[in-house]
Amino acid sequence: MTEATDLAERAGDRDPRIGLRAVAALRRLLEQLEAVQVRSARNQGWSWQEIAAELGVSRQAVHKKHGRQ
Amino acid sequence: MFERFTKDARAVVEGAVGHAEQAGAGQVEESHVLLALLDREGTRGSFALAALGLTPPRRQTVVRALDEARRRGGLSRADADALSDLGIDLSAVVSRIEETHGEGALAPAAKSGGWGRRPFSRGAKALLSQSLRTAVAHRDRHIGDEHLLLALTARPGTPAEVLADHGVTYDSLAKVLYGDGEARAAG
Repeated sequence: MTEATDLAERAGDRDPRIGLRAVAALRRLLEQLEAVQVRSARNQGWSWQEIAAELGVSRQAVHKKHGRQ
Repeated sequence: MFERFTKDARAVVEGAVGHAEQAGAGQVEESHVLLALLDREGTRGSFALAALGLTPPRRQTVVRALDEARRRGGLSRADADALSDLGIDLSAVVSRIEETHGEGALAPAAKSGGWGRRPFSRGAKALLSQSLRTAVAHRDRHIGDEHLLLALTARPGTPAEVLADHGVTYDSLAKVLYGDGEARAAG
């Protein structure tokens, strides 16, 4: 790779859109992963309190978010 | 707004609700609207799809591509690219999760709402308003299923990506629906 294209590519990386897009994608992935793990824990008989403690959130928060599944 | 929907456009909206129910989805999503559009025959939307190569027998590949995206947790290919920039390989994540939790584990969970009317997701509502704007931009008095299709391709997300993979974009649709001159009309 020439120096010019290398520089151009690194300049492109500083485009805020790329970083923001990655954060949004990560958040979507996180939501799906959380749903999978919470469902799995519930199926294994975990209480909301136990799940909340592992996730580092309140019992009410986790129950409100996942309670209907 | 709904009074301006043609019979065909209403049928698509109804069909989208049906697809959401069938999938056990808690909300009607934009992908359900696309599935309903693919079901139609003899409408302006169906004509436009066929003109771009998506004749009814070929539409099954679009349905399969939507299924694939669902399996990735509803993340679009653009999302996958963004994650890959961070060093996260989405397909690897999907396989690891499926190994432990079974196939399709990352697909958005069906919130078993049971019976009753499903609400439209925020994206699906925005899609309906966008179809109105699209009709207005083309000086069409009614909102037909072709405007729903145009609106889908004008919005970011999986349905637009899947359609683009099959040669159906806002510009290509506008071309077959309105001719060259108006291909660039704002959506």
